[in-house]
Amino acid sequence: MENFTNDTIDTSHLPKFEEVTFTNLHPKYFKVVLINLLIVISILILLPSLVFILKPELFPGRIWMILGVLLPIISSLIIVFSIIGFKKKGFAFRNHDVLFRHGIIATNTIVIPYNRVQHVALHEGLVSRYFGLAKIEIFTAGGSSSDIEIPGIEKEQAENIKQLLMGKIKKQL
Amino acid sequence: MGSDFSQPQRQSIVGIWVMFFYTLQQYGRALWPIILIWAFKFDEINKVYLVVGMLLLFASIGVVSYLKYLNFTFLLDSENQEFVITEGVFNKTKTAIQLHKIQQVNINQSFIQKLIGVYELDVDTAGTNKKEGIIKAISHQLALDLKSRLLENEGQKSISKNEAISLEETEQKLFEVAHPFIKISFLSLLKVGITSNYQKTIALLIIFFSTIYENFQNFGDENTIYKEKLGTFIDQNLVSQTILLGVIVLFIAVLILNVMRTVFKYYDYNIARQKGSLLLSFGLLNTKSTIIKPEKVQITTVTRNYFQKKMGILELKIKQATSGENEERKSAIEIPGCSESERDAVLKLLFHKIPEKGLILKPNFRKLIFSVFLTIGLPLFVFMIIGYCFVPSVFEYSYLVPIAILSIGLIQYFKFINNRLFINENFIIKQSGAWDVSDAIIEPSKIQAITTSQLFWHKRLNIGSITLHTAGGTIAFQLGNYSIIKQQVNRWLYEIETSDSNWM
Repeated sequence: MENFTNDTIDTSHLPKFEEVTFTNLHPKYFKVVLINLLIVISILILLPSLVFILKPELFPGRIWMILGVLLPIISSLIIVFSIIGFKKKGFAFRNHDVLFRHGIIATNTIVIPYNRVQHVALHEGLVSRYFGLAKIEIFTAGGSSSDIEIPGIEKEQAENIKQLLMGKIKKQL
Repeated sequence: MGSDFSQPQRQSIVGIWVMFFYTLQQYGRALWPIILIWAFKFDEINKVYLVVGMLLLFASIGVVSYLKYLNFTFLLDSENQEFVITEGVFNKTKTAIQLHKIQQVNINQSFIQKLIGVYELDVDTAGTNKKEGIIKAISHQLALDLKSRLLENEGQKSISKNEAISLEETEQKLFEVAHPFIKISFLSLLKVGITSNYQKTIALLIIFFSTIYENFQNFGDENTIYKEKLGTFIDQNLVSQTILLGVIVLFIAVLILNVMRTVFKYYDYNIARQKGSLLLSFGLLNTKSTIIKPEKVQITTVTRNYFQKKMGILELKIKQATSGENEERKSAIEIPGCSESERDAVLKLLFHKIPEKGLILKPNFRKLIFSVFLTIGLPLFVFMIIGYCFVPSVFEYSYLVPIAILSIGLIQYFKFINNRLFINENFIIKQSGAWDVSDAIIEPSKIQAITTSQLFWHKRLNIGSITLHTAGGTIAFQLGNYSIIKQQVNRWLYEIETSDSNWM
């Protein structure tokens, strides 16, 4: 107890989470994003086109016209948003917490201190696996809104990060 | 004992059947409309195709479940003290759970599992609703072994805890007065009844009366002659009188219903103190009792409206982090009809001091504009579109528009005025609400994660939002001074990271 001190914290000298430099997702992950986009958009465009060719009488002409105008707009929006979304995503591991930044219109930064991490999972999607990438999922007790999912990390690095996190969690005991 | 879990293990081989049936169930759920159509068109379908298709389907499900079985392994890494589950055929997931984070291990058996003779083992950690790890097919012996291995640490911990508790208990028994330190009187309950839950009851009554009204109309349609005759009798005066009467009846009905509900639910509300925990018991017909443990409390909300302020009562809502009992997770514990001194007593017990409001954060006026746009602008726009393009008859109800705009506008205005975030060294208090003004209180140590968010056109204005995630829900505050928010976030992070404070 003698060594116990409780000085006032100078909040202006604390490490600032907003000044952390974020690491961008792996460039290879951009290809994953593009391939996923290709799949989504081909379904979005091909399916109506097929119906149009095989069974044009299913909908009246007006609806086909609306679809013809809307689908390209929606598709290009999805493309633009995913590309910007990819560029905006970034992560950082500090000594005591992990940060993840994402968001297109709004910039969201979520911070999880290591001593609040409940468990960690490594997820490899089919396409990501082909490129040797993995996604790290970090879970807390705060429910799904407070979990972090960092995609596009090289498998080996992801494994290392997972080990690091597990080590950090254990140390807190 | 003796089972070796340090090597990756598969599930029981018969588990393929469990996988098979579960996958079949999934497909069935996804495809039931098609199956239904087929069933109706049974005669028209080529039987050969049907049989071949069915065989193909079953074969593919069989292959998928076999692959699932092959790819599902679990192991207990004793070196790193973690339980690892690997699963997935194409998309692979590896979940690692630290042993000391495991709160519960449940062994269950569903009907299908019973048929096949295997068990399911769920691993649950604190906080979230979902199970973190599920092994679908495992023999009973293996399940028991694994459970005991998973809970090895827990066992030691809980034994020491139990000892401590029993010691405390004997000590406590000497002081066991157990007489309630707060007792909510019948009068307070009456007060609560007539001052709270208006919206809920009004909504219920409107549904009730509208169904009656509809029935009346149907009745009227059949007797148009009767209606016409009646129509001449009803003059304007009578109509307004009935409307007035109706409103009064509605009002009284709301009050009576509210009072009755409150009394039934909370009759004889007793709060007793025991070993630093709060023991609550209440209820007229069936008495409910719950325990509040201060260290498990995540969010405490104090709510009161204008009338309640005048009568000197308020309502406390306490959200705990629970693991295990599913039904209690979502619902908060309510203490209605406390006086101010009783509130202080409860808060003191929970936090060891009375939370004070400190630094005030106010939302930017843009928040008001945005919520007005959402709740008035958009509905009005939709109303116009429906009126002009589809159903012009909705314009007959145009006279309701100004009333709606005025009332919603007022509610939004008061919501904006009351929306505040108070930050103090030990507490964060969020004030919100239009009529019922509530203060949600959390301690920074209960924070699990923090999200800050800023729209790109708000950068120059220096305003932004913050969400604090706890195990009992979130607290969010929008469009406040962003530099202050960031500064406070840094402080909270510092506090959380430098102490291993217990959040439950």
